[in-house]
Amino acid sequence: MTNFLKWWQTVKISWVKHTAYRLNFFLQIIGPSLVFFFVKYNLWTSIFEQSATKVIQGYTLDQMLSYHAWAFIISLVAQGHGSWNLSEDIRLGRISSYLIYPFNFWEFHTASFISFQGIQILIAGVTLLFFSYISIISSFSFEVLLTGFTFTLLVSIFWFLTQYFTGLLAFWLEETWILRVMLQIVSVFLSGAIIPLELYPEWFVKILNFTPFPYLSYYPIQIMMGRDVSLVSGVVIICSWIVGLIFINKFIWRRGLRLYTAAGM
Amino acid sequence: MSSDTVINVSQLCKKFVSFKKEPGIVGSLKSFFVRNPIEKIAVNNFELKIKKGEIIGLLGPNGAGKTTLMKMFTGIVVPTSGELSILGYQPWQRDKQFRKKIALVMGQKSQLWWDIPAMDSFTLLQKYYEIPEDKFNERISHMSEILEVKDLLHIHVRKLSLGERMKLELMASLLHDPDVIFLDEPTIGLDLVAQENIRNFIKEYHARTGCTIIITSHYMADVQALCERLVLIMGGKKGFDGPIHEFEKVLGNEKTLSFSFSTEQNPEAEIWKNYYPEWDEKNRSVELRVPEEELRDLSMKVLQNLPVTDFATEKLPIERVMKTLMENPELLKERSND
Amino acid sequence: MLSNIKHYLSVYRKFVATSIAVNTSFRTSFVMLIIMDLFTFFTTIYSIDFIYNHIDTIGPWGRNELLFFACFMLMIDNLHMILFSESFWELSFSIKNGSLDFVILKPLNTIFSVFFRYFRPSSCVLTPLYIFYLIKYGNLVGLGTLDWVLLPFMIFSGLAVLVLIEFCFCSAMFWVTEGIGINFLRLQLQQLSRWPNFIYGPLARKFLTVAVPITLIGSAPVHFLLDKSRYGLFLAMPVAIIILIFILRIVWEKGLRNYDSASS
Repeated sequence: MTNFLKWWQTVKISWVKHTAYRLNFFLQIIGPSLVFFFVKYNLWTSIFEQSATKVIQGYTLDQMLSYHAWAFIISLVAQGHGSWNLSEDIRLGRISSYLIYPFNFWEFHTASFISFQGIQILIAGVTLLFFSYISIISSFSFEVLLTGFTFTLLVSIFWFLTQYFTGLLAFWLEETWILRVMLQIVSVFLSGAIIPLELYPEWFVKILNFTPFPYLSYYPIQIMMGRDVSLVSGVVIICSWIVGLIFINKFIWRRGLRLYTAAGM
Repeated sequence: MSSDTVINVSQLCKKFVSFKKEPGIVGSLKSFFVRNPIEKIAVNNFELKIKKGEIIGLLGPNGAGKTTLMKMFTGIVVPTSGELSILGYQPWQRDKQFRKKIALVMGQKSQLWWDIPAMDSFTLLQKYYEIPEDKFNERISHMSEILEVKDLLHIHVRKLSLGERMKLELMASLLHDPDVIFLDEPTIGLDLVAQENIRNFIKEYHARTGCTIIITSHYMADVQALCERLVLIMGGKKGFDGPIHEFEKVLGNEKTLSFSFSTEQNPEAEIWKNYYPEWDEKNRSVELRVPEEELRDLSMKVLQNLPVTDFATEKLPIERVMKTLMENPELLKERSND
Repeated sequence: MLSNIKHYLSVYRKFVATSIAVNTSFRTSFVMLIIMDLFTFFTTIYSIDFIYNHIDTIGPWGRNELLFFACFMLMIDNLHMILFSESFWELSFSIKNGSLDFVILKPLNTIFSVFFRYFRPSSCVLTPLYIFYLIKYGNLVGLGTLDWVLLPFMIFSGLAVLVLIEFCFCSAMFWVTEGIGINFLRLQLQQLSRWPNFIYGPLARKFLTVAVPITLIGSAPVHFLLDKSRYGLFLAMPVAIIILIFILRIVWEKGLRNYDSASS
């Protein structure tokens, strides 16, 4: 019970931190949506205007737009969290205070993640309402939404763990943001967030299916759009990645901590 | 304004606006949409005149407005109202010639580049201030000799101790031979020896160049060693301005008188009443603040009537005056009403 | 005037020297930054390539034209990375923690000492790659001799428009204290400039030409290179640069006055 209170308090404090600078907060939401409306909407509209066939790899213009609308909403929940603080904590030596608190480093950052997700889900919900109001996203059933949302949450845990992983590398690297931006660039490209994977060369998609990337955007979008995807294999793959990453992170944390305490950074 | 007045401040004010926030999620949600601005007056109708070549100590408790003043003097922060002229310039216009004539050293912030040796930062500053090569070399070798940092110039700054870094910070700020130097807590966090080194260097530097120095510090030793004149700022207002020996008498001609006794005493006894007694927990020793003219009578009375084992007297040190004033700001008001 | 330029050049030389000294002392970061740039480069090229596997044209442009445009923008991006990008992030930090104090104190133009401060040598390593691709697609769209001569100037004017817009946006950091959000907004603006102006609807296009003229960065010069009758927007570039400099000087000065300087 006391442990729960610790978690709850941390979640609350992180919430305050996340919303402390409100302009900042708005810009972080407005930015991507600006890109969505300006670039993606306009780009695909003009691509479809030129194309005589009007159906590209099984996508009509409406479907393409709702693909990107879903991509936007899903990225809010699945890939919103950056874990920027984590590597800062390590690099600036603030980690020592966690070693003294009766509340662990991972617990603190996980609580911070949970609180951030609370905000992101709220925003995603509002965005979804807006998209369906301007009918970029047409009808969806509640059941599909629930399945898709659950899967997206699973993906977000996976993403959090990868971010946590790169953050932990701050024990050895002086700047981990480069790694994180790298991961961002690659995952946006390989997850189908820019272009649906149907447009990629076939051999390329075959290789991709062996990586977790398509599960970050493409799969949840397919679920949300009510298309036929094998849900079981998706869940199994993401869950095994999650379990694997938990072990890797535990291992790395222990190694890093040994280095940290030995060097007395 | 006479030509040897370097700093001239009148009716200077600075207001900051911040926001009030209630704790908790509800509070942060509320403040997310509606903000209650709070106006904080950091500096209020401040007056000051400083002549060329003076070293003055700017004192005051945390948050009194010292740093804000320094930042207005150097043109970093723009005053809300009032007049401010330094070397004939208005700092906030940030004239290039003005900026070449001043220097600011902050004990809590570093201008040296963390990841490279100090010497690299120095050569960059040389370019900034267009310092001729020969003058530059001369100043570097001279200052590094006095400060004993010759071997540190080529070591990465992040590997240096705080004391070593502070010496190099000082050097960095003095390379361009400024006319007015602002030192904002230059000895903060340093050990006693390092503090004294810095102090001696500033003293020597001032004697040699005759520059004007304004220094803030919480260490009275700094002030006592360096400053002839003190300016006290409290709550954004000037509380005292005058020579240091007058500051010691600001609470009247009082001295500290301390007694130790062989037996427990009654702290409530009539005899202590007017002398602000401070007892130890066993009531076996006491410190009193006694006006000079009563010193003799009181001492005799205590020595005759009570089992005294030891006693001592000293004039009220500046540190004690500061502490008393900080705890009882109303004492200053009473004094200025006189 | 001349001595002033000399002074600034000598300071800039020091900026570059110190940046190189710092950057090369962190070797892993140095290598990772190169890989990051490589990723950006190839994902941009292949995103366009993949789309063109399924369609012939977007607006008036076929594969080669759009890829030439993309290479033009990537070239600007490369220069931007080398010369400016680090300084933008540094500015938001230094406003927040008050280390901007020392920059303001120095007897230099603050726009110069803030935005030209950090140089990123790692991005220079890939510059030949960017140039190679630019030449490759320049040849494929059939640029003439005059076009090749004009190209470097166009790239630098495009860069000038881009950074001037960004400088203006960054002036807002003085009001918000936490400037990282503005940096993200800046990145999104860059995103908008990376697509040719014809994909935008009439209203959006007007906005992105007049109000926030990011379509002048790439679309204006590339349209002119590909079709000499479309010189209108190209001529607007120098005008935009002058107006932006004018606006920048005003907002920057206003911003500096508003600088609160975080207390220590």
